[in-house]
Amino acid sequence: MKKLLSLLVLVLLMVIASACSGGSEDASGSEGDTSSGDWSPEQPIEIVSPSGAGGGWDTTARMVGKTFNETGIIEQDIGVVNKPGGGGAVGWASIAEKEGSNTDLFVSSPPILLVPLNGQSEYGHEDFTPLSNMIADYAAFAVAADAKWDNLNELFADMKEDPSSITVVGASSPGSMDHVQFMKIAKAAGVDVTKVKYVSDQDGGALTALLNGSVDVYSTGVAETVEQVKAGKIKVLAVTSEERLEGDVLSDFPTAIEQGIDATFVNWRGFFGPPNMDEAAVKYYEEKFKKLSESEEFADIRKNYGWSEMYMNSEEYKTFLDDQKKEIQGLLDELGIGK
Amino acid sequence: MGSLEGLMTGFEVAFSLTGILFVLIGVFVGTFIGMLPGLGPITAIAVMIPITYGMDPSTALVMMAGVYYGAVFGGSTASILLNAPGISGTVATSFDGYPMAQQGKAGKALAIAAVASFTGGTVSVVLLMLFAPALASVAVAFSPAAYFALMFMGLTAISSLSEGSTVKALISAVVGFMVATIGIDAQTGTQRYTFGNVSLLEGLDFLVIALGLFALAEVCSLIINRKDLSVNNAHKLGSLRLTKGDFNEMKGPVTRQSFLGFILGVLPGAGATIASFIGYITEKRIAKNPDEFGKGSVKGLAAPETANNAATSGAFVPLLSLGIPGSGTTAVMLGAFMVLGVQPGPLLMTDHPEIFWGIIASMYLGNVFLLVLNLPLIPYIAKILKIPRPLLISLVIMFSIIGVYAISFSTFDLYMLLLFGVVGFLMRLFAFPAPPLILAFILGGMMEQSFRQALTISNGSMMVFIKDPISLSLLIVALLSFTFPLIRQIRSRKG
Repeated sequence: MKKLLSLLVLVLLMVIASACSGGSEDASGSEGDTSSGDWSPEQPIEIVSPSGAGGGWDTTARMVGKTFNETGIIEQDIGVVNKPGGGGAVGWASIAEKEGSNTDLFVSSPPILLVPLNGQSEYGHEDFTPLSNMIADYAAFAVAADAKWDNLNELFADMKEDPSSITVVGASSPGSMDHVQFMKIAKAAGVDVTKVKYVSDQDGGALTALLNGSVDVYSTGVAETVEQVKAGKIKVLAVTSEERLEGDVLSDFPTAIEQGIDATFVNWRGFFGPPNMDEAAVKYYEEKFKKLSESEEFADIRKNYGWSEMYMNSEEYKTFLDDQKKEIQGLLDELGIGK
Repeated sequence: MGSLEGLMTGFEVAFSLTGILFVLIGVFVGTFIGMLPGLGPITAIAVMIPITYGMDPSTALVMMAGVYYGAVFGGSTASILLNAPGISGTVATSFDGYPMAQQGKAGKALAIAAVASFTGGTVSVVLLMLFAPALASVAVAFSPAAYFALMFMGLTAISSLSEGSTVKALISAVVGFMVATIGIDAQTGTQRYTFGNVSLLEGLDFLVIALGLFALAEVCSLIINRKDLSVNNAHKLGSLRLTKGDFNEMKGPVTRQSFLGFILGVLPGAGATIASFIGYITEKRIAKNPDEFGKGSVKGLAAPETANNAATSGAFVPLLSLGIPGSGTTAVMLGAFMVLGVQPGPLLMTDHPEIFWGIIASMYLGNVFLLVLNLPLIPYIAKILKIPRPLLISLVIMFSIIGVYAISFSTFDLYMLLLFGVVGFLMRLFAFPAPPLILAFILGGMMEQSFRQALTISNGSMMVFIKDPISLSLLIVALLSFTFPLIRQIRSRKG
């Protein structure tokens, strides 16, 4: 009995430890000599992934943390902590409380623009310190392999003629990435976006619905389509990158631009610090992220996960984000979504 | 590479020394975490993902699969002993498992659950091995209309789950539906009943409601009835041994539910929960003495336990053969694949036969390990009930809180847990049954979403539910299952 109890306690401790790891210390970045402009971390760095384990944010954060340490670009230990909830809002709220800290980072992507625009988070990218963007992913629009459309223009022509005959599916609700990325391209092609039928289906239902013919178009990320295309189940009408992507199968996907539709959508991913991070620390991270982005080790990781290189320093990143937000705001206004 | 050759490769992976070792580690960790009240496969898998970085993908995934079905296997323990289900798939297990344990037959209840889980798990692996590639088309056969019909059919269980007043059962179900609408509506992106609270945006987690309504409400009753001698049987473990009569009773449900559970598991979105509920009600419907159900029936315990384990193997069909995760848990599993640089999809079987078949082959081994690990442990695990009441109650409360906190590390969820504990206790006082609420909560969200998806696609025409053959047949079954008890009642009145 005693053994059993002590075993129970042991597991309990394990669970608690994994739940709370890292989150405890009250990191304030006042250590290090900030005035001279030459700052380096004197305590472990924590990267928050505002989602559960195994997602895109989590993988990016863990790979970046791991490669930083393995290559020795950053010697200080880097830990990744998951703070899921509210599509990121919970994690952002927790980072906002760490104002001024120089060792608490988080990973983010377009939802940090979209979620606040939808009125679902009181914090947006303006509240944080953009450090560096690292990678880019792109959207893909797929139809069943035997669908009658062979390119984006044929699809959009039918959509303009009879919008009620075509259903678009995505894994998330209107106003989120799967929806916005499709509407952005459709709008550029002259489709009346207020009439497009969009359904959202979580839990893998979106691909299911495309494969059984319930819906016509699947708006998703490029990586999600590759295996299905290889197996001949679906075809990709367009990707949203500037130029064709590199790689097996990927290079066969036409861009929207080459089909005469002048629009792109980037699923960028980068790193942020809490509000009012010291300038010296921003400089430090900028340099380190740049070094990482240029390293061979990280190039291998990008290749492995099908990511594209997209480095931006803090200044460029901020301007980029402001522009993106304005553009999306306009689109959402037209769609009648958002606050 | 032919399937047979592939399977041989799979067995080589699974039965190599490292293979065996990591299957064992996987099922051990899984079953252990699964046993803890409030913690289920999602927690178990999430805890293990960081460990797999840099591991050989096939070995790592064989281990992760073990964690998954191991956690489902062990999940029944907390339901049976403490009425504290850790995953939605074991809620139905508590309906008869907990009463059985309270009658002083905890050992027997755990043994039945272990045998049923083992059989369900093993039969379904055979099915998985034989039909996984062929069943891929079944996995995508269901349109949104058909999903609505399936959920609707699941809802007919409410009439079976209500002891006493039907009106009270229906009121419970309506509350369940209402709670299911909390959060961001997937079809419009609008917030519903969130009161501007960030923590409510994703809706309430199943665990918050299940642990509140079942575990905390039970704790309240135990405290209030602490002087009541009639519940004092509970600390007895009873014999572990299953009699011939027990086996005879289990035979039917276990055989049927191994197949039915597997098929329901194959459907993305349906999964172990719906399989266990549908398993429970079908067995109750066809049982000679349905009145025993809910009072510690062997059949009522064996059916959902078989079904949820069979459905767990079934869930590997869409995951491995299509790359489609059918549930929150398999979505985390998919994440584990991606972390290892493996993208599951239609080509997994040909590109990575060692992974596809390795996982399937390892499940034979895993299920045997689980049985061997669990059976001898039963007497020790059941001794939990010998812990003095005040200490046991504190432990249940503590584990419930940890389980809920582990979902998203939010203290807000803990207040919700407390709220549902109070609600659950009040429901007991006024004889409102809790199972219809939880069932409506589980099914309601999906039912509403697929209903609206179907109508958006059909431009608002209700005919879509009749035109789809799968949807039509399921709706007919649902209708029959509503009327069947009525006819029976009328007949028995005449007789």
